[in-house]
Amino acid sequence: MKCSIHITDIGVPALVAVALGVLSMSGCSGRPADDSAVDMDQLLPQQISGWTRAESSVTYDRETIFDYINGAGEVYRSYGFGEVLVARYTASELPEVTVELFDMGNPADAYGVFSYARESEELGIGGGYEQRGRVLCFWQDRFYVCVLSEERTSDSDQDLITVARSVSQQLPSATSLPDLVNKLPTDGLVRFSERFFHLHQSLNYHYYLARENLFNLSAATDAVMARYAPGSTYLLLIEYTDEGGAVEALTSFRELYLPDAGAVTTVETENGKFVSYARNGRFLAVVLDATSETVANELLQKALGNLP
Amino acid sequence: MTREKTGLTRRDFMKGVGGVALGMTAGLPSALSAETKQAGSSKVILVRNGDVISATRDINGELVQAMLDEAMVALFGHDDPSDCWKQIIRPSDVVGIKTNVWRYLPTPPSVEQAIRRGVLQAGVTERNIDQGDRDVLQREVFQRSTALINTRPMRTHSWSGVGSLIKNYITFDHPPDYHADACASLAKLWELPIVKDKTRLNVLVMLTPQFHNIGPHHFDTSYIWPYGGLIVSTDPVAADAVGLQILQQKRRLEFGAGRPLQPTAHHIALADTEYHLGSADMGRIELVRLGWEEGSLI
Repeated sequence: MKCSIHITDIGVPALVAVALGVLSMSGCSGRPADDSAVDMDQLLPQQISGWTRAESSVTYDRETIFDYINGAGEVYRSYGFGEVLVARYTASELPEVTVELFDMGNPADAYGVFSYARESEELGIGGGYEQRGRVLCFWQDRFYVCVLSEERTSDSDQDLITVARSVSQQLPSATSLPDLVNKLPTDGLVRFSERFFHLHQSLNYHYYLARENLFNLSAATDAVMARYAPGSTYLLLIEYTDEGGAVEALTSFRELYLPDAGAVTTVETENGKFVSYARNGRFLAVVLDATSETVANELLQKALGNLP
Repeated sequence: MTREKTGLTRRDFMKGVGGVALGMTAGLPSALSAETKQAGSSKVILVRNGDVISATRDINGELVQAMLDEAMVALFGHDDPSDCWKQIIRPSDVVGIKTNVWRYLPTPPSVEQAIRRGVLQAGVTERNIDQGDRDVLQREVFQRSTALINTRPMRTHSWSGVGSLIKNYITFDHPPDYHADACASLAKLWELPIVKDKTRLNVLVMLTPQFHNIGPHHFDTSYIWPYGGLIVSTDPVAADAVGLQILQQKRRLEFGAGRPLQPTAHHIALADTEYHLGSADMGRIELVRLGWEEGSLI
């Protein structure tokens, strides 16, 4: 299936379609489309332990997200984000808690935004959660959820877990990693370094490669990047909708990033590190910043071995 | 099908194409030489005070005023700060103070008030002074402004690398139009008719800068620190470049060398090399340091 949606350029009619699941990003990338409309408001409980939900919940969509979180809203828009419901919970002698319930359109993108800047991960809430400071975020099914405490107190860490677990119980339980993430070799993988995304801008966030979109990344492509030992070697896997897309992207990458490489597929770059790449059907595998040619080739072969 | 290369790559930075500033800003290996079109240097004042932030993170307004006064004197060379304000603002000017209201780390009221006092000292009447952020296009004073003062705190940002002085003008237009390539084209904002050639002063607030985010958009006080500084310049790019150096150094101290800013804040370097708004090359910035020296990180 060929998909031409550009997430950042998506229009209102397309947004409606996305919300209804008629034309979803998940459908573009071959995953089962989630065609269920969601009443976000019904998914959040009215009462959580000692907290009562305030009446003034606010919903932000793809256009109004910037009113809530400024330019960083683009991070969510780089996935299949539809809307976020922001609800406050108050309690008489406890810090106020805010719950942000993001509908990311499909489970892969819920995981993707969770992985975007993740530094650690614990199991036990949804597909995994991360707690830092007074913020706890987890992903579950098509949802990315963040729970924020107004203050950090001696009890707030446990409070966040209590609230998050309560929200989690209201959500669909199905949670599975994107297929492409499961294709990453596990040997040498740096924990919590996996990043799942679609767009060129996201690649440049994780590893600044070029101003130009060398790999022709789009809403229709799935990509995962992860770091490996030894050193800080990066592995990038990209899944295109068809083999032609992968061929074209590889040509672009070779011409624009490795114009001096000729037919060689492992190249030493100016920083003394090595780049290696290969295509397998509609998949590309690229190793960057490997400490040696051997390291680059071994990691590439492991990656290719996991691809269909 | 052969595609023609139109933009810089990581390898270009390694080779030195694109200039020192771009490589530096991107957190990539430095280039060997810089090719920029601006001549001369930009003067940037870094003024710090170890007492301006209390242990409970309260800001001492009197010390903020003293710091700004000191910076103005150093920047413009008059003995009296009010004379410095008179050098950049005419009594007939209509002055918009472009502030920043981000709820976790806004421009402190004490900084806004110190700037307002300076503008008043220059002879501008109250009715011709206003401040705003997201609502600037709706505010009457900004619509008829002849002069702008630009001020905001510096912080890390998940889409543009940092929230910078250059970025602070994004509310003068439709923000999403500037989001491509990690907000690479933000300097174009400064060509808008409502902005162009009006900015008389830039005050980058480094009292409690934010050096790291939680996730894409969350804030936690564990990632700010009491730097106690203001960066003051007529060149927004130079001021941002100095602030960026400080944030990057803070991150190196906290996290080691392996965690540069994400994404790279290349909009600052590009404001120099592509848009010629000012100087991002530290070799062309005259940095004047005043006050507290400990932990200056630059």
